Parts: sequence; structure tokens; C-alpha cells
Amino acid sequence: MDNSVLLSASHLKKKYRIDRKNSIFAVNDVSLDIFTGETLALVGESGCGKSTLSKILMQIIKPDEGTVSFEGKEISSLSERALRPYISRMQMVFQDPASSLDPRMKIRDIIAEPLKAFKIYGTQAEMNERILELTDMVELKEDCLNRYPHEFSGGQKQRIGIARAIAASPKLLVCDESVSALDVCVQAQILNLLKRLKNQLGLTCLFISHDLSVVSFIADRVCVMKNGAICELAPAEKIYSAPEHEYTKYLLASVYCP
Amino acid sequence: MNEDLLLEIKNLTVSIQKKNESIPIVKGIDMDLPNGQIVGLVGESGCGKSMTAKSINGILPSVAKVTGGSILWHDSKDKVTDLVTLKEKDLRKRCGQDIAMIFQEPMTSLNPMMRIGDQIREVLRIHKLEKSPSQSREQIIKMLESVGIENPSLRYNSWPHELSGGMRQRVMIAMAMISSPKLLIADEATTALDVTTQAQILKLMKSMCTKSSMSALVITHNMGVVSAICDYVYVMYLGTVMEQAKVSELFSNPLHPYTRGLLSSIPKLSGNPEYLKTIPGNIPVVNKKFPGCEFCIRCSEDVQKCFFENPPLKQVGEDHFVRCHTVSL
Repeated sequence: MDNSVLLSASHLKKKYRIDRKNSIFAVNDVSLDIFTGETLALVGESGCGKSTLSKILMQIIKPDEGTVSFEGKEISSLSERALRPYISRMQMVFQDPASSLDPRMKIRDIIAEPLKAFKIYGTQAEMNERILELTDMVELKEDCLNRYPHEFSGGQKQRIGIARAIAASPKLLVCDESVSALDVCVQAQILNLLKRLKNQLGLTCLFISHDLSVVSFIADRVCVMKNGAICELAPAEKIYSAPEHEYTKYLLASVYCP
Repeated sequence: MNEDLLLEIKNLTVSIQKKNESIPIVKGIDMDLPNGQIVGLVGESGCGKSMTAKSINGILPSVAKVTGGSILWHDSKDKVTDLVTLKEKDLRKRCGQDIAMIFQEPMTSLNPMMRIGDQIREVLRIHKLEKSPSQSREQIIKMLESVGIENPSLRYNSWPHELSGGMRQRVMIAMAMISSPKLLIADEATTALDVTTQAQILKLMKSMCTKSSMSALVITHNMGVVSAICDYVYVMYLGTVMEQAKVSELFSNPLHPYTRGLLSSIPKLSGNPEYLKTIPGNIPVVNKKFPGCEFCIRCSEDVQKCFFENPPLKQVGEDHFVRCHTVSL
């Protein structure tokens, strides 16, 4: 791990209105740095703002206050057009593999979509070669390319989602609860795959999860969130061996391990 | 096993009827549910664990049918009823009163158009347990309080959408418990919940069981849940029981390659290996009769015999049974 900051967020705030009078801070004054090559895990209960934070980092929603910079350049104030080259370098793997793939597109087209959108390859032959390389990377067979998403199991769909996310050779991969909808064995397969790809491609990873045992397997640093704010951010070994914040201790005590 | 049984499943077979063929999805399982104990049923999705549970209270989907075996309900020491042959009308009477079920998704199993209190009261009304309106209101508020809902008299008049996921699951438990059933079936009841809420709900279920000496059948794919609350556990794969043992025995001495694979697939809180050891492949599609062991294609052991002969369920210790050729007595 080198020490250059890949993505940096400072004083992010995002408010959602509940009704006319009341509103709630989904993200309340959050600052964090993600270093190149590390896996940072974002942990917390549902409703703690971890997904909102990841969407702000990915420029899917705009924050009310605060800035996000990628490789030292501020990107939160850029227009959509100016943002494009940055977007190709940060990609996302979603929670529900079934609803994140277009049911009317063949697997080949799903994986090719980012390649076309970011105009990475000039010729069709080059692109086909890249698609084959990607299917091989996520351990899918070549004959799956001409099939449709409904023909695959949950784990295979998640592999397709990962292939699409790494297609444009991103630097940052954001995994939003990417394994929580999967069975234990398939979950272990996907976790192994993510870890291998991360080492192979030198990816930086933001891993969002509510499962502390999964996080301990994959993360280098852990960021615990509660009510829109960070309550503890520390290296993984420290979080698990000597948690400081009360809430971290409470979360750890709630995990049942066989 | 235990003499004091509540429910006994014997050689149960459930099949899906398709045009003119029937595909077995539960293939002759035997299971005992002793009084006052919590029994776990684990396996990957599609292994038939929900189908087993649903055949107990007769709510199988219309394409599936019990095609063999019996589910014996021990009313008392001498009186035994077979729930499979019971008329639907009589089975209905038992469901909800003697057998209660909690489902995975608390939002879809509550009626969004009915207030919480009225929904719970429906159980009392249908099973004719209601004495007077004011008395049942009191009873329901007491029950809501005992499942850990704050301000129960206010919540009595709440709508389901006003509650969080954990609260809704608590209401489901209150609804299941109001008729003081003898058996509680929890089908992935905590899977959709947060870790902290899951821990609270599990603790609640456990204390409910000990307090009212109720039995429970907990269906889950989460080994952590099993280790937290169950006394005895059955591991299922493709409609057959692969291993069954006391919880402490299963976790300290897992014998079947499938059980070992399931356990090593779970990341731990500390001391994880670089890569997790997992079971390769997916659950295969249920197809025609296969003579060998169902698991042999994904098994880590390589034994010729497994492809030709299905191993029997062997007893290897006190209350510990395994279905595998590689395990010797």
C-alpha cells in the first residue's frame, strides 16, 4: 500500500426532508481519505447513511455541503460532461444482482456497455477480445455471453456485475453490500474473487457492508458509521482487537460466529 | 433421541408436479422435534428446507405436494395425529393455535391496511380465544410489551408502515405467540434484519421458548444463528439430511464434507485465511434419479463409490448421524 490519497472527502453533508418541518442528516460532516491500493470498509446498521455516502463519493447524488476530490482534483463541482473521464475510473458493484442487470440485454452487451460508453476500444475485434478476457477473469464460461441474465444464478449474476464494473479498468471499485444477498458458499466464492481481482489489478476498494465478519476478511481499514457520522475509523486489526467507540463494541457483540 | 417428542417427521417426501412427471424436492427426511427444544434446519437456498417447514402446516405452494411419509403430532403420550392426512379444515384449526409461523419478510406478511392491534386480535378471534374486547386488548398490549416494543398501548393503534423492520418482526412474533402455540416455525426470520436487531430478536425467541416451554424449528442458512440459539441441528442438501447432531457437537466435530465446506465458507472475526476455503460450483439442477451421493460432484473427497451408491445415514456418536461414505464408524 502506498500512501497517496486516491479519493478524499471533506465535510460532506446531505440532508433529507421527512416532512414540511423536519429533516434528517443522512450524512453529517463526514471527512475521509481512501488511499491507493487499500480496501476501506464502511460498516453500520441500515439507515446510518453508508449508501448515501457512497453515492455522494460516486457523484450519483450531490452533497449539500462539502467536496470530493479524486487524485487531488476536486470533482464534486464539475459538470456532468467534465466528470465523464473520472466516472470511468470509479465503478460500482451493487447489492441485488438481479435488478442491477438489464433483463433485455445479452451478457455480452451488458459487459460491453461501459466499453462503448467510455469509447475505450476503436475496433470491434479489440472489444471482443477484452470481453473474453473479462469473462475469464470472473471465472465465467465463454458460452454465457449470448445468454440473458435470467438464465443465471445469483452468484453468476454477481460475477457479471463485477465484470461490467472492472471493464473500463477503474481505479476505485465501490461494492455496496455486494455479497449480502448471496448464500454462504456463493458469498465465499465472490469474496475470494473480489480479493483476487483487487490484488491482480491493483484496485482500490470501498466495501460497504453490515456484516462485520465479511469485513474482517476483506478490509484493511474499517470505518464505522452511525446516524450519518463516522464514529470510529481505524485499521482492521485494531477495530477487531481493541475497539474504542462504544458503538463498535456493541456491533461486535451482536455478531454470532459459529 | 428424546422420548418427549412434540413432532415427528417420518420419511417425508415432497414433489413438484409438472405436467406428467413429478420431481422430488424433499427426498424422504426424518426429523424429530422434542418438547421445549430449538431445532435448526440449515442448507443453501433450494435445498428444500422451506418446503419441509411448509408441509408441516400445509401451506405448500399449489404445484408442490406431499407424496409420501407422515408428520406425526404428539397431542399427548398416547394420542398421535398425522398432519398429512388431516382434513384441511382440521389442520387450519391447529395452524395459528398450536403451530405458529414467522416469515422472512415482515413487511409483506403484515396487512398494510390494518392496525397492529387489530391484526393480532384477529388471531384470537379466529381461534375463538377472545373473552371480551377489553380483556384481549389488555392481553395484546402485554404481549407487545413482552416482545420488547416500547410504548405498547400507543403502538396498538399504529399502522405497519410506521414501524421499522425490527419492530415489524417483533409484531410478527407477538402475533405468533398470542395463542401460546406449542411449536414456532421461524423461516429465515432474521435474515433481512441488521446484525444488532437480529441479535435482539434471537435473544427474544430463545427467552420465549424457555419461558413458555415452546418448541421451535429455525430455518436458516446462517450458521451463526444456529450456533446462537439452537439445541440440535439438521444439515440439508438437495432434499436429504446430510448430517444431524447436537449444535456443540456439529461445530466442534463436523464430519460431512458439505458441513465442513459450509463452516469454512464463513469468514470469522479474526484470523481469516488469505482466501476462504469454499465449496466449488452451485447447487445442481434437480434432475432424474441419480444413483450416487447427491453431493459427490462438489465434494472435496474423491471416492469412486460415491458416484454409484447413495450412502445411508449412519450413526457415529450419541445423537450424531452422517450420510457419507468417507466417514467410518
